Amino acid sequence: MLRLSLRTRRTLLPYLFLGPGLLWLIVFYAIPLINQGGVSLMTGNPEQGYTLQWHFATYTDAISDYGTQFGRSVLFAGSATVLDLVIAFPLAYFIAYKAGRWKNFMLLLVVLPFFTSYVLRTVAWQLILNDNGWVVHRFQDVGLISSNGRLLASTKAVVAGITYNFLPFMVLPLYVSLEKIDRRLIEAATDLYASRATAFRKVTLPLALPGIFAGSLLTFIPACGDFINAALLGTPKQYMIGNVIQSKFLNILDYPTAAALSFILMTAILIGILIYARLLGTKSLTEAAA
Amino acid sequence: MPDRDVERALERLLFDGDGMSRRRFLGRSGAAALGLTALGSALAGCSIEGEAAHGVNAAKAVSVNHPKASLAGLRWANWPLYIDKKTLKSFDKLHGVKVKYVEEINDNFEFFGKVRQQLAQGQPIGRDIVTLTDYMAARWVRDGYCEPLDKRNIPNIRNLASNLRTINYDPKRDYTLPWQSGGTGIGYNPKKTGRKLESVNDLFDPAFKGRVTMLSEPYDTACLVLLGMGVDASQAKIADILKAIEKIKKAKDDGQIRRFTGNDYTTDLAKGNVWVSVAYSGDLVQLQADNPDLEFIYPKEGSMLFTDNMMMPKHLAHPYGAEVLMNYYYEPEVAAKVAAYVNYITPVDGAREILEKTDPDLANNPLIFPSDDVRKRLHAYPALSPADERTMQSAMADVTGA
Repeated sequence: MLRLSLRTRRTLLPYLFLGPGLLWLIVFYAIPLINQGGVSLMTGNPEQGYTLQWHFATYTDAISDYGTQFGRSVLFAGSATVLDLVIAFPLAYFIAYKAGRWKNFMLLLVVLPFFTSYVLRTVAWQLILNDNGWVVHRFQDVGLISSNGRLLASTKAVVAGITYNFLPFMVLPLYVSLEKIDRRLIEAATDLYASRATAFRKVTLPLALPGIFAGSLLTFIPACGDFINAALLGTPKQYMIGNVIQSKFLNILDYPTAAALSFILMTAILIGILIYARLLGTKSLTEAAA
Repeated sequence: MPDRDVERALERLLFDGDGMSRRRFLGRSGAAALGLTALGSALAGCSIEGEAAHGVNAAKAVSVNHPKASLAGLRWANWPLYIDKKTLKSFDKLHGVKVKYVEEINDNFEFFGKVRQQLAQGQPIGRDIVTLTDYMAARWVRDGYCEPLDKRNIPNIRNLASNLRTINYDPKRDYTLPWQSGGTGIGYNPKKTGRKLESVNDLFDPAFKGRVTMLSEPYDTACLVLLGMGVDASQAKIADILKAIEKIKKAKDDGQIRRFTGNDYTTDLAKGNVWVSVAYSGDLVQLQADNPDLEFIYPKEGSMLFTDNMMMPKHLAHPYGAEVLMNYYYEPEVAAKVAAYVNYITPVDGAREILEKTDPDLANNPLIFPSDDVRKRLHAYPALSPADERTMQSAMADVTGA
């Protein structure tokens, strides 16, 4: 058996702990990613097959052809994230501070939708928003939509669908960061003659920032790549980049464009996150996740 | 704290926590360059094989012999709700086996995408029968992905309806055997439209703005629209089809068309969200049970005839079993049961006579057994070259996906 000094063992031990996770990342993340990177530079067609030609023009073509859908993805996912934040913050605040013994029950309610399939829940919205349904009629009664108007198959429906589907991802991190706040800090603020509003603004909100940051990322990133909501609740005029990637991969079998689109989306999101992290002033991603 | 250690190790691994000396930097970039080169050459070696890679061409003379063998493990991939499962149970009992019947095909292209890599590399795909629509069946035959049928094991092939005995991609039915046919026409709700429809061009009536859906498959939708433009779709060239797609694009931009769908147009139509749909005849027969207001028409300009075909993928494990199963479904009694359940057009002669005795309503339903007058106006899909097919698919995708 190999005998190692205590020092060496101490240095190696952490790597050993990292091993399984790293292996997982390499096999199921890095290798597929490299593979798709290669695919994105191939040229050809399904008949003759695809070969690697280092064809970088696929990327520029993809951006110019599908810029609209990229824009839509960012716009829809962004709106949904903001809406989620507006809805989730009071909810998380209530659960963390006011729910008392109902706390666990309410958290259960938040995650309960996960017990049903994502697609099924979205299909349920198709029925709720249907043109002859109760919701549409009430909207027409109060004049929010015209008598011949509709909710389904519109931008409103898609954004609402995304907002609904990703709400728990916003509530949970917000709840965790609000729950963690030391109440004595808020008491101290009020002791020092801050009004409730000022205490909220100067103490609670800054301390909840990591939760807001994590929640927005958990909502925005998957929402950007979502295609279910646009496909089920929208029309082609609402299709997002996820819909394009899906149809390129599955129906048209144009693997290079699909892979290139995925990479562009990933890069764009990564850059966006870095800027966001800078703006929000969180020192690191780990702080937000903790 | 081991926690800290892990973090530090990660940091060292990823960011090189303690700064880089020049020597180490050079060493690292050297290693990185080496790694990149290795990666590059590894990638250069890889490619995605084309469909024709190991293709045996269909043109060569077909002679097959599939001797009697065990049926155990037979597997059939079909579309959802496309069979009366009682007929399968009877087959199981008859042969003392349990056929693995999997409803796994929701979309021709999606299913093809799932198995194409194995097919291209000449590997078995684990299914003994797949059920694919004409244009996809044509692709498989062209690429040599199907095993020819040993017709000695399918004596009931004599019951195949005369109008289906030959088809452009498989003139002698050496590889494919029709499972069900249907018409692509117009499904609509007369109560909503306020009038009877009879023409393909009613899809473009501005009175129905935002209340129309079309199928996203260009073979169905573009060809139907083309019929409305007065062109014989079964002889159509790619230029004609692109014109039809252009017309569809304009209607989409005007907000005329609400959605492009797969089989899921049925929900919107039954719920009344949509008034007029490009629809499959069999779907409408089933939908009428839920919403009796709905009607299906074979438009006066004609409609598209599609056939889903049973075929055996290359290198399958049970060719004999697959043929015995196909033969079973070409018994008129069995075919009548399936027709009564799925409500599509059966390709088996003699099924109607049996239904006339057991279920006269169905036997007289013009959607299941169209009149001769309608049959004359049913058009087969055009035969397009692979390149033209790609042009059409991507033109349509640009319309449906943007």
